[in-house]
Amino acid sequence: MDISSNKVPVTILTGFLGSGKTTLLNRILSEQHGKRIAVIENEFGEVGIDQALVINAEEEIFEMANGCICCTVRGDLIRVLGNLMKRRDKFDYVVVETTGLADPGPVAQTFFMDDEISSEFSLDGIITLVDTFHINQQLGRSDESTEQIAFADVIVLNKTDLVKDTELDKLEARLREMNKMAKFIRSEMANVPINSVLDKSAFNLDQALIRRPTFLEPEYPFEWTGIYSTKPGKYKIIMSEGPDPSMSLVIELDQNTDDVSLRNGAEHCVRLYAEDAEIIKPSEIIPKGKHVNLNLESSGQKEFYIEIEKDTKIALFAQHTAEEFNMKLIEVDNNDEVPVEMERTWVAQHEHDDEVGSFSIEKDGDLDEQKLQAWISKLLREKGVDIFRMKGFLSIAGESNRFVFQGVHMIFSGKPDRPWGSLPRRNQLVFIGRNLDEKEMRKGFEDCLV
Amino acid sequence: MSIMETQPQKILRSGWNAYVNDYAISGGWNYNGQVLIICDAAGGIYVFDGKSGEVIWSQGQVHEGGILSAAIHPLTDRFATGGQDGKIIIWNTCQKNREKVIDLGDGWIENLSWSQDGEMLAVSCSRTVYVYTKEGNEIWQSSNHNSTVSNLGWSINKELATTCYGCVSFFDGMSGKVKQKLEWKGSLVSMVLSPNSDIVVCGSQDNTIHFWRRSTEQDSMMSGYPLKPSALSFDETGSYLATGGSEEVTVWSFKGNGPEGTSPLSLKLHTKPITTLAFAHRGMNLASGSRDGAVVLWDLKSENEESGLSETSVSDSVSKLYWRPDDKALAGLDRQGGVTVWHV
Repeated sequence: MDISSNKVPVTILTGFLGSGKTTLLNRILSEQHGKRIAVIENEFGEVGIDQALVINAEEEIFEMANGCICCTVRGDLIRVLGNLMKRRDKFDYVVVETTGLADPGPVAQTFFMDDEISSEFSLDGIITLVDTFHINQQLGRSDESTEQIAFADVIVLNKTDLVKDTELDKLEARLREMNKMAKFIRSEMANVPINSVLDKSAFNLDQALIRRPTFLEPEYPFEWTGIYSTKPGKYKIIMSEGPDPSMSLVIELDQNTDDVSLRNGAEHCVRLYAEDAEIIKPSEIIPKGKHVNLNLESSGQKEFYIEIEKDTKIALFAQHTAEEFNMKLIEVDNNDEVPVEMERTWVAQHEHDDEVGSFSIEKDGDLDEQKLQAWISKLLREKGVDIFRMKGFLSIAGESNRFVFQGVHMIFSGKPDRPWGSLPRRNQLVFIGRNLDEKEMRKGFEDCLV
Repeated sequence: MSIMETQPQKILRSGWNAYVNDYAISGGWNYNGQVLIICDAAGGIYVFDGKSGEVIWSQGQVHEGGILSAAIHPLTDRFATGGQDGKIIIWNTCQKNREKVIDLGDGWIENLSWSQDGEMLAVSCSRTVYVYTKEGNEIWQSSNHNSTVSNLGWSINKELATTCYGCVSFFDGMSGKVKQKLEWKGSLVSMVLSPNSDIVVCGSQDNTIHFWRRSTEQDSMMSGYPLKPSALSFDETGSYLATGGSEEVTVWSFKGNGPEGTSPLSLKLHTKPITTLAFAHRGMNLASGSRDGAVVLWDLKSENEESGLSETSVSDSVSKLYWRPDDKALAGLDRQGGVTVWHV
């Protein structure tokens, strides 16, 4: 299951019919990225695809007589990829567009269970497109849409123009409960940056922690972001009485309103929020790019000042929504209210009522290797069918290197990663699956600690 | 599995070699051994003089998207090619002539096979099988199989054998009527019939080999292979079955009550997985090729003293090995487009 770099990467594109897979595919193919891409399509797309070798292949699911679900593979992919790899003018990249009803498990397993395929191709990542207008009904109704969410490395929330922002925020929170590993991107017409869906190396243990320090998406410590266009000059934030005597805030400059910029800004602010807050009293100036805590103890309306040096967009990443404090941004010179250009809420918690869910275990300390092995093999033997994906890094007692692992159902692979060095030794595991007993699994893991 | 110490001697002598334009995917000797026909993955055909290795004729891009399969007529100067363009072309070997072009539309033509008497050509396209006269006129077509047809073969009684996921089917070659269905829940990636056509052997995606005795429909399974056994070959008597599926050539004996309850012979010289196996038309010489380009000639004359006679190599993974009809030469095709002929 180890993947070296000279293999042809393969991206799996899943999502229900009408979620925008073909639109995204066309976008990938029309972009000037210098890659020769072959596309394997399991359903005829809504839109024609130019400029690429497109192979139509009917989905063929091959289960094995031994009944093991992790041995189930996709015969059509073995056949088509097997022929593609024979050509000398090989492709640089393969995209597989599955049907809306495809189970991503066998697709992923094909790249680990078939020796000929795994020696030539590496699974780069699973991208799931979500029709945000319809997904809530689909999730209740079909296992496939749920599994497509659960297996994804990247979830593209598409058709956001048809759904209210607050609904999108709620939807994202619901899907994040199901899959804590995935990156989320929002788009209207599947117009996402190509590098956010291709070349993710999501299954590559060598790359796993180089690109990102963690397998988890951050929990946002702020609830609301508003973006405003500002000119050089003095501004004030006015706030009425609200639910708290204080509110944490970070003001970011040069914040673009597109989804990727907003998420980058948000991730930056997560780090700023981790620093101690500077307490700001009413009528004081709020420093920019710093974690502050606005003191709201006094009664009545309060004002805080912001000084802007240039034409820019500023973002307020606030602990509470603007609504809760009737918060407004006013240009001091003319006393005009600055309209919020874009706002979104970051729903911190969502009630967990889906069968499919994900959770993470994060613990300091070292693990007993034998106990760990026994626990993992028992877990996979008994729960492998229900565990869709897992990833993590571990600190094993007596080992100077980090141990990284990942898995799809019962297919597990792991290897030593770089040395811990001065980093604190800790463990992080993420599991995605159906009806996982979080409490029991946590206990099982903790029993492995030295 | 028993292990034998083996010491190869020089038996394969260099003949000629040539290169085609891409992965040498399929082909074979014509019926009289005078020419060697090679098809490459890019869609090129090369007809070589069998003795000198000179190109008699060649043509590129005969199938848009590439050639997937080829079959050489057993008795006349004809061969057929099939490709990603959904077309079947019947060629005249001597004249660079397309005798017939059959267009089946969108599907890939992945398998072609001439009946042993040369009267019929079977073709698979996706889940359907078509049977034509040797001139290319359709006789019948099958209904859809469970999945894409993975192999075709003819019995001595003009029955067409097909494999797909979960099933081996035998059709009457003339009428297309299903005569026998042998079921097994697995993806059958390879198939070979014993010379008397009573035994049908399939390699399966789950790294096993499954075989049936057709007269009794009794089936057995051989497991323990680390990889898919995609290379299979019977010797002319049907006594020995050579199988790939690992870095060893595993040979099962069908003599007596075997192979059930017996241990196979393990032929160990290759260091990479076996890609192709070919018993000579007569006698006990077996040629094997592997992913690293190694080619080994084995002599299995005596059941217990098998030995590697000769070891040589080509430039890359061996895709096919073809014995000349008189067994005095062996052709090897490889992934880089190399075509090598050895005298035996």
